[in-house]
Amino acid sequence: MSLTFLTPWLLSALLGLPVLWLLLRAVPPAPIRRFFPGVILLLGLRDKTQISDRTPWWLLLIRMLALGLIILGLAGPLLNPQSTTIKRSDLLILLDGGWAAARDWQAHQLLLDRVLNQAARDGRPVAIARLTTPSTPVFQSAQSWQERLPGLAPTPWVPDASKMQTALQGLNDQPFDSLWLSDGLAQTGRAALLSALQNRGDVEVIETEQTLFALEPAKLSDGMITLHAIRLPNTVDQSVTIRAHGTDPNGRSQIISTITTAFTESATRIPVQFSLPAELRERVSRFDIVGQTSAAGVSLTGNSLLRREVALISEGADREGLELLSPLHFIAKAYAPSAELLSGDLTTLLPANPDLVVLADIAKLSTTEETALGQWVAEGGLLLRFAGPRLATSDLSRTTEHPLMPVRLRAGGRTVGGAMSWGAPKSLAAFAPNSPFFGLEIPNDVRVSAQVLAQPDPSLSQRVIAMLADGTPLVTRKQSGKGQIVLFHVTANAEWSSLPLSGLFVQMLERLSQSVAGSEPDMKSLQGTIWQPSQILSAQGQLEPATRLAGIAAEKLFDAPLSAEIRPGLYTHAKEQVARNVIGPDSRLLPAIWPNGTNLRGLSDRLETPLGGWCLILALLILLVDVLATLSLSGRLVSTVAVLCLLATLSSTGPACAQDDGAEARTPATNGNAGAAVSEKAWQASSELTLAYVVTGNSKVDAISKAGLDGLSQTLFARTSVEPAAPVGLDLERDMLMFYPLLYWPITADQPTPSSKAYRKLNAFLKSGGMIVFDTRDGDIAGFGTSSPNSLRLQKITYGIDIPALEPMPQDHVLTRAFYLLQDFPGRYTQRDIWVEAAPQAVEKAAGMPFRNLNDGVSPVIIGGNDWAAAWAVDAQGKQMFPIGRNASDRRQRELAYRFGINLVMHVLTGNYKSDQVHVPALLDRLGQ
Amino acid sequence: MSISAHDIRNIAECDAAHLPGLLLRSQHLANGVLLGEHGRRRPGSGDDFWQYRPLYDGESHRMIDWRQSARGDDHFVRQHELKNAQTAQLWVDQSASMRFTGHAGRTTKSGRARVIALALSILLLRKGERVGLSDGTLAPRRGAQQVQNLSDRFEVDDIQDYAAPAIGALKPNARVVFISDFMAPIEPVTTAVGRATDRNATGVLLQVLDPIELQFPFSGRTIFESLGGKLRHESLKASDLKADYVERIETRCSALRDLCQRTGWQYHRHMTDRAAQSALLWLYHALGDGTQRS
Repeated sequence: MSLTFLTPWLLSALLGLPVLWLLLRAVPPAPIRRFFPGVILLLGLRDKTQISDRTPWWLLLIRMLALGLIILGLAGPLLNPQSTTIKRSDLLILLDGGWAAARDWQAHQLLLDRVLNQAARDGRPVAIARLTTPSTPVFQSAQSWQERLPGLAPTPWVPDASKMQTALQGLNDQPFDSLWLSDGLAQTGRAALLSALQNRGDVEVIETEQTLFALEPAKLSDGMITLHAIRLPNTVDQSVTIRAHGTDPNGRSQIISTITTAFTESATRIPVQFSLPAELRERVSRFDIVGQTSAAGVSLTGNSLLRREVALISEGADREGLELLSPLHFIAKAYAPSAELLSGDLTTLLPANPDLVVLADIAKLSTTEETALGQWVAEGGLLLRFAGPRLATSDLSRTTEHPLMPVRLRAGGRTVGGAMSWGAPKSLAAFAPNSPFFGLEIPNDVRVSAQVLAQPDPSLSQRVIAMLADGTPLVTRKQSGKGQIVLFHVTANAEWSSLPLSGLFVQMLERLSQSVAGSEPDMKSLQGTIWQPSQILSAQGQLEPATRLAGIAAEKLFDAPLSAEIRPGLYTHAKEQVARNVIGPDSRLLPAIWPNGTNLRGLSDRLETPLGGWCLILALLILLVDVLATLSLSGRLVSTVAVLCLLATLSSTGPACAQDDGAEARTPATNGNAGAAVSEKAWQASSELTLAYVVTGNSKVDAISKAGLDGLSQTLFARTSVEPAAPVGLDLERDMLMFYPLLYWPITADQPTPSSKAYRKLNAFLKSGGMIVFDTRDGDIAGFGTSSPNSLRLQKITYGIDIPALEPMPQDHVLTRAFYLLQDFPGRYTQRDIWVEAAPQAVEKAAGMPFRNLNDGVSPVIIGGNDWAAAWAVDAQGKQMFPIGRNASDRRQRELAYRFGINLVMHVLTGNYKSDQVHVPALLDRLGQ
Repeated sequence: MSISAHDIRNIAECDAAHLPGLLLRSQHLANGVLLGEHGRRRPGSGDDFWQYRPLYDGESHRMIDWRQSARGDDHFVRQHELKNAQTAQLWVDQSASMRFTGHAGRTTKSGRARVIALALSILLLRKGERVGLSDGTLAPRRGAQQVQNLSDRFEVDDIQDYAAPAIGALKPNARVVFISDFMAPIEPVTTAVGRATDRNATGVLLQVLDPIELQFPFSGRTIFESLGGKLRHESLKASDLKADYVERIETRCSALRDLCQRTGWQYHRHMTDRAAQSALLWLYHALGDGTQRS
């Protein structure tokens, strides 16, 4: 551990601290000014102790400490400074810069930054050269290299030390020291380059200690995708996770499959096999190793896993309309999900170069067709033939083996298990290990009742890949050139066997066709073609669009080593797409071997750490402590802390509200298991009619509201068919309002105005047919409309509520006859003014009618001051809680109050039902008019 | 400096905004007290019927209530209940020091003093007493209009820091109510009480204080200023002053109490964190006792 300073002369400012001590000491904390009437009594009083006249020593100490730290921090302290003895002025930095360095590139850049910093301090000219792009190094100032540092990126190809060595010749005999950042992979000419550098000056090599993995290209063999993972020679067991990437049916990229496997002991190359259904397999676009961010950890597939083309050929359409008897029906069905089906006649289909040609019961081909087909098979095609009545009766491959038949056939074939034959239909024998069908399960119900028979030839046993339980060949195969010819000795329809009806048939066809695809691109056929890069792979293993890259001739694309011109990636030519991967098949990774005596270091050495920032942060913290200390000295600490606490609580209520928003958004109707989410209160309110009041925060008023609505509920229960549940108090900020038909809102002078969220809820409540009864409870002292405190508060509260125009309740309002006939609406007080929604202007009283025909909705608000809740209020024993008026008038007034309450609830629940003209005669009768 | 008509209007609107509030609060306060109070319960000059009594010898026949006497053989005289009017004269401290409150949620001393004074006036006026101001700006009168006059006077703020009771227009035999924080030097109070006593007036001193003024919960380096800004006192450690200050204010209170005991007046200390009702009840009874005694 060692410490140096970048600007040591700044430390001399520390000498000034004692002066500051004297200055600060003389300035005591500022006083607070307070207004206080008792000051007249304070005049002449003396402080008992003379403190705080000067700043206390500990406060001074805190400030000096802060200042000292600031000076220290600005002086730029450095921990572990890199100090090396410099022999030569120039410094050459060599970077391998291939894909192997991609994973640790950030560490490399940090290291480079440090080295350049040091060189800048020492004033050394620096040159940075990359082995991947060899050129003669140019020595420049370290600062100019530092600016270009972020632009340095690794390349997805491997470095070439020998070319670098020739590039060094351009420097003549100039001596320089070298620093070589190696990626740890073996390369040709490394030792030679090292000795060339050592001739010029000291060489220091920094090598990454890493474990490199790479993926070889994927191959498709027998339906399995096989690819190999390789690593640097190592004896440690390491597990790797390999992912297959592709697109889902909608085109989004996704991980299709993941396999975790392990390198055991000294293995450097292990196979990884993906067994995927054909549908999924065809979507795989690349494989990569988790955590290996280098181009070698990615294996692109190109088109090698894509769908095959199957050509279906049958003999004319002589039996039109009998689809299930068509010899190709089952084959077409079997191949439809996984292959492109081509149908037509052979001469038109063969130029399309299908992967597979199916001939169902075709005995005779024209000679030109035969020649073309034979050539196609020799080039790697798979010819799949099925037997049938025509083949059985023809002379095809009877005496000599036909080039397009795997075996010779006997005349006539055989029939077993029919009406005219002995024996039972035959089942299949288990597949032999060398058969491509090996491992398929044979269903019990597969029976063969007729077939063509192979002539026993010496080569027959090699060519049988499936046989019946009695050993008769059922499927035979013959290699022909690069391709093969397969014959099913039964028909492709269900005429001769039940094989085409079983799932086994589909699997067998799938197995056969898999052996076609995934073959190496044929160099001969590609000769002279130019391939255009569509996407290229970066050193980090990211696919990037290829812009401004020229097309590459096929022979170079697959043979030449990767370079700036030939980059790994996807190349297209016509409809075909091939992938050029960083790692070719059968590659090996070898570690770099350095000669003895090389100055070799690892990446993870002790770092040079600047401490200036930490010093400044610490100084800031100490200044914060100083603020608190000063506040406490001047007696302001408590109030400041209170303000901070208030701010903290204010900010913490935000999320709570937001949470509530979410809770409200859920409704029981849309949420099946809403019982847990919706509050118990809302649950009850929605299951029974419930009267509600607004909780004002004044416990006395709230208790009266509750008792009042309780009394009203009991009265409703006794006299009407409305049977409400126990009333509830609602907190406008939290509770849901939508379940309550009626909201009783007593106004107190000190009630807080609801939040904007609560206003939104209230307005929604009113719009959906709810009613609010505002009660200012001051009917005794204030006529409505005067500015009593409660009325003023009411004005403030209702400012945010969407209230229509109001009018004093007219004599013919439906509230006067919703249940009882009423003209007064007393509560505890008997003020006449009750305000309701104004009736439309145009409505006139019809002749002879006692009231106008007002068929509008329920008044959204009713405003009065008669303290109805107090009149309705009953205690637990059912006794009235408050006296009303005097003596006998008490009973009458209370009765009227209850009647008003009942009318109110009826009005809310039935709307303007009573305004209906149907009831006019009866009402007239009762009114005595 | 001229004040535009718009400004005057603005100020007037602001002032008017207080008015119903003060009146209403006072009315509300007064309503609570009125319940359960009764009349004088003795015969005298008044409007309400009190009793019939037999005609004494030598009384004029004009006094006979013929309607009652016609029911029997004796002659009866109709007597009314005594209603004698007292004069109450108030002085409410309007100085700057009264406009102090120790807590944003508490009313100022001045506000509390005005509400109590006005509520008391309403009560007295309802009983038919004459109520006025002792400084002569409002002569004692009866009737509901006087409430409005009083509340108008109470809206006027004084600019000086501290004020002494003004008794320029004190009527003999009046009941006097001084409402103040009595922070100013006590001598003018002693003089005012003495001069009132000389005129055979009795009364009460209601001292309205904010709780802060009794507790003195200050600490640290502080400059205390009077509300008018004329007086200031700097302390380097305010908590040191607490004991001395509390002693001084208690001394002031007991001096006021002594003064009242000597002169037959009554003294009450009201804190603004208590309900105004309690002070009003005390005042009402303190004055009520006096009226019954005379």
